[in-house]
Parts: sequence; C-alpha cells; structure tokens
Amino acid sequence: MSKSSFLGADTIALHSGYQPESDHGSRAVPIYQTTSYVFDSVDEASALFNVEQGGHIYSRITNPTVAVLEQRLAALEGGAGAICTASGMSALFVSFFSLCSAGDHIVSASQIYGSTATLLKHSLKRFNIDCTFVDINDQKAVSGAIQDNTKLVFCESIGNPGLDVSNLPAIAETAHAKGIPLVVDATFATPFLNNPIEHGADVVVHSVTKWIGGHGAAVGGVVIDGGNFDWLKSGRFPTLTEPYEPFHGMNFWEEFGPAALAMRIRCESMRDIGAAMTPHNAFLLLQGLETLSLRMQQHVSNAQAMVTWLQKHDAVKWVNHPDIDANSHTKLLFPKGAGSMLTFGVKGGRDAGAAFIDALQLSSNLANVGDSRTLVLHPGSTTHSRLSEADLVSAGISADLIRVSVGIETLKDIQADFNLGLRAAAKVVANQAEV
Amino acid sequence: MYIEVDNANTFIATGGKPFDPSLPTVVLLHGSGTDHRGWALQARWFAFHGYSVFAPDFPAHSLSGGEALTSIESMGAWLIRALDEAKVTKVHLIGHSQGFLVALEAASLLGDRLKSVMALATASAIPVNPALVEMAQTNPTAAAEMMLQWGFGNQSQYGASAVPGMQPIGIGARIMANNPLATDLSACNAYTQGAQRAQKLASTGCPSCVILAEKDRMTPKKEGLKLAQDLNTQAQVVKEMGHMLPMEAPKESLYFMKKFIQSVEK
Repeated sequence: MSKSSFLGADTIALHSGYQPESDHGSRAVPIYQTTSYVFDSVDEASALFNVEQGGHIYSRITNPTVAVLEQRLAALEGGAGAICTASGMSALFVSFFSLCSAGDHIVSASQIYGSTATLLKHSLKRFNIDCTFVDINDQKAVSGAIQDNTKLVFCESIGNPGLDVSNLPAIAETAHAKGIPLVVDATFATPFLNNPIEHGADVVVHSVTKWIGGHGAAVGGVVIDGGNFDWLKSGRFPTLTEPYEPFHGMNFWEEFGPAALAMRIRCESMRDIGAAMTPHNAFLLLQGLETLSLRMQQHVSNAQAMVTWLQKHDAVKWVNHPDIDANSHTKLLFPKGAGSMLTFGVKGGRDAGAAFIDALQLSSNLANVGDSRTLVLHPGSTTHSRLSEADLVSAGISADLIRVSVGIETLKDIQADFNLGLRAAAKVVANQAEV
Repeated sequence: MYIEVDNANTFIATGGKPFDPSLPTVVLLHGSGTDHRGWALQARWFAFHGYSVFAPDFPAHSLSGGEALTSIESMGAWLIRALDEAKVTKVHLIGHSQGFLVALEAASLLGDRLKSVMALATASAIPVNPALVEMAQTNPTAAAEMMLQWGFGNQSQYGASAVPGMQPIGIGARIMANNPLATDLSACNAYTQGAQRAQKLASTGCPSCVILAEKDRMTPKKEGLKLAQDLNTQAQVVKEMGHMLPMEAPKESLYFMKKFIQSVEK
C-alpha cells in the first residue's frame, strides 16, 4: 500500500478521491466552477468556519474539484493530506511560510531550480529567514549547517538543472537526528518514479504543471504532508504545536496530529495568501494525472535512448543524466529510471549551443519542463540567469549547458530534430576553426 | 490539556477550549490503536456549544505516557480516576468500538455522575481473530494496515474524505503505527461481560443510543443491533459507511451525537 491507500498507483491516479455522485452520475470529475457554497443553515456555516465539520466555504480555501486532485496526490505519495496551490512556487512558499518565522533558518541544496534559489536567498531574507546552501549529498556539510534556529532541510529529489540525485535516506537521517524535517521538491521525479515519503521525506512538493499535468495547459502546485514527523518532539515548531489565535487557539498538532501541517496551510496560508488553484486547472491536471504512469514510461524510455544517442554523436561534448554511471542511491531511489531530463553540451560552447536551439523545429525552446512534447532551454541565459557566476558553478550550470525535457514523441523524430540542431552547432565550430 | 493519572502524563483533548468541569462533560473514547484525533471535529462542536469535552488518549497511546492497560475493566477503572482527577461531575460517555466497551465498564462505576451512554460502530463483545492479535504483536504495521483495510468503508478506500484534501486512511495509519494495538486487541478479545453490563445499565433507565455503520466489517451491524437490544434502545444506521465511523462520517455521526446529547440535557 502507499500508506494512504490500498489501491495500486495506476488505480489511484484514475479513481481516488472521486466516485460518481448520485445526482447525475458524472463519470468524469465535475468542474465545480464556483466561488462559494450555500450553507444549509447559520449553524452549519458556523460549524464550517470553526472546523467543527468538513466541507467547502469559499474556493480560495477549498473546492470540490481541487480536493479530488489533492486527495489523489496525497494517496499517490502516501501522505496524510495535500493542499493544491496556484503554482509549484506557491506550494514551496506556503511550506516555508508555515514552518518558518522571522529569525529562522533553512538548509538547502545548492543545486536547485533558479526561482527557488532566489526565493530562499533573497525573498525570504526580507522577512529575516536565512538560508545556507550546501552540497546536499555531503552529510557532514548538511549536519554542520543546521543551527539552533534551523526549521527544515530542503532539496529536490532530482536537482534542476544539474540532475544530481539527492540521497534522500541519508539526508532524512541527518535532518531527523537534529529534529528537523526534510522537505523535498519531487517535481522531476513524479510520484510514478519515486515516492520521497517512503525514503524519509516529511513534506513533498510538486509543481504539478510539469509531468503530472503533461499537457502544458495548466499551472499548479501541491504540498503533501507526509504525516510522519513529530512536530512536538522536535520542539522547534510553535506554528504547529502552540495555540493559533485566529482559530480560537487551535493547536494543530494536538487536534489533527499527522495532518497538522496540511491543516495549518489550509487554515492560514490559503486564507491569508490565497494562492489557490482554480477548479478548471484542477480538472485539466486531473486529466493529465490519469495517464501519468503510461506517459512516464515513454518519457523515461525516450530519455534513456536519447542519452545513448547523444553520447555517440560527434558534435556532442558531454551528456548528463542520473542513470549514466548511476551511484547506489540513484539505483535505490529510481529503479524505473531517473526521469526524462537530460543536459548536454555541444562542442563549440555557448554560441554552438545557441545555434543548436535555434535550428530545432520539433522541439520547443521554452521555460518549462515535463510537457509531453520535447522542450529545450539554455538555463544560463534564462531560468538561472539571475545567479552570479559563482552560484552558477555551485548549481552545476556551465555556459554550454543545454537542458532537455525529453517528450513522448516518436523517438526517431526527436533524433531527426536534434540532428538539425547538431548540424547547426557543427557549422559554428567549423566557422570558429576558420576564424 | 495534560493531567496526571497514575503518575503518568495523560493527554485529554478538550475540543479547542479550556476544560470546565462545571459544564456537562462529553467523554469521547477512542477505539483500538487509535487516539483522540478520531473525534477531532465532533470534539470541537461540543466544546463550542456549551459542553466540556474530555477525550483522553489512553495510557501509552499517542500523546499520553504510562503503560498500556491490558483489560477493558482496567481501562474503565482508569477512566474513572482520570475523570476524578479532572473533577468531572456530569458525564455523557460516548465510545467508538473498543471505546464503548470501556464506556460500559466505566458506566458501572460512575453512579449518579452518569447522564447517558452512546455507542458508535461497536457491539457488546468484540472477538478478535487470534491471527490478527499475533500479527499485531509481531508486525504491528501489517496488522494496522489490515484493520484499516477492513475498518474503512468503500468510499474511504476510494479516497473520499469528509475534510477536503485529507486522507483518513493515511492519517489512521500514522496514528496506529505507534500505539499498543496488540494490547488493545487482546483486551477486546478477552472482554465477555459487555452484554451483561448493557442489560444492567438498561435496567437503571440510563439514556442510551446506538449508531451503527451499514458496511461495518469489524463489528458487524447485526452485532450492534444486539447491543441496542441489550441497552433497550433503538439503533440508527449510517448508510454506506464502515467501522471507522467517527473519521469516515464525522458530519453524520455528529448529527446523531448532538441530537442525542441535547435530548438528554433538555
């Protein structure tokens, strides 16, 4: 079981959280396109507002269509509960916001998505929340960076764009030894390839915009409360273990235990920040989730074939994918393959790389990953352009790095497209030689 | 709140409001391997509507210290000591599954402090398959999973949740993972005087109420109907729900709980 459901993952993706309702028997999950919900009585309204009964009040807080996606993702990841948000970044923000206050500290992997690095290094700093960046697979460094005011250790299960695989069991052990939870952004892994909670993570975040949606038609995020962390024993989390005045002194840990963090995010972040997922986006993302496992098999298969193909190509200088010379923890965590992201550099450096991207016809040059279509990007000039030279090196981003999100098109067509790009890159090299 | 019972730190959930022993007190008793969180929503309603709530984690369960109690009789006696410690004077006992067996024992000791008893998804005897007890001793996680698979009804198995976004099975699994399930199950299995206690209670005229779950596979509805007979009361049946009634159907169970308690208090 997933620790939240006795159904298999493929069945959860199709059925969990929704059974055809009695009024109309809609087989598909309906889109509840409404801002608000009529109360049966004043007493019922009062009970809903005071968390004396479950239900919906206002779609900034909860919505029935969004709730299906939440319950489905919680079941897939084996969590106690989930909160969907407007984007992956807002999912990260509400996680940090719910665990940290001014004066607190975060330990983060250095090789992470550029916007997350900016959030941790600059935006949260304005609220006096500091972050120390470390090599996340160096447990001495992680342990040494944890301070008395540290509230969480953060990493991506597969780093973006360096593609380093975080050794989740080891990181969790280090964090837990100091009474700190491990928060994992598992976007690149998807629930199909790896479930971080099984390997010690306490909170899992996804940008569901990516492979979970797959269609590139809707932006969204999710926070999954693993339900395993003892917030009281840790002694570091007054936001969860001490009375919360706006809800008549609610103590989330005492009242909701394993779902304490999810309930805090629901009661505070969704109310005060309001980064809610729309019901229409939830519907679109549910359509994607239903076929996640089938798509991921093709994504991984195409990615592994592209790695082999690129490694043999004369115009290619280097190729990176976690499955190349995989270390033991990568093999343990990703028995079905470590995702469909790869990076590579063409001979001729940045200019040749630019020529490669500009010559492509099938693949799209854009700032997204996880679409069913093949996507390419030059991170050094886009997603990670705000990082300093030193931070780029620390994040494992060289000037020639091209990031590829391998799609599920017919493999020979992706290869034919890349041949166009590599020929253009080779011309740049030839021109450089002539000069 | 925390109180000291038998020299052990004991957690009593009060529904989010300070405990006031002068108010009519609704005592909510959890089932095998679980804790007060099964009553999270119902407890809040009572606490904010003129009652005091007293929902203990039994010894060695979740937030309470101490040694796990090994018999239903000892749990009933322990509850009286806990109520004494909190100076509770007027008691409505509400028990889910094993919690109602404890309620029957406590009721026999409460005298005129007892105002009513209410049973949810239970029976006067809860025999437990020896294989399950053994599994709970040797592999408590597997035993808890088996109970969750049998305990939650069909809708919950398909991921339905009365509280949007939550996974009741996941929450139940976490709670049961660290609690003394084998001891609880053995205590249930050994308890044989439930019917007798229920009949005696009925003879005193104590108000009682029985709420059953239509799809209960752990304490089947027919056994619950026998309990209602012993208590000389009517049983209400919540359709489609399984044994974990307080978590699966908090709204429906609260409806019956408040209707009954309010009728007794009138």
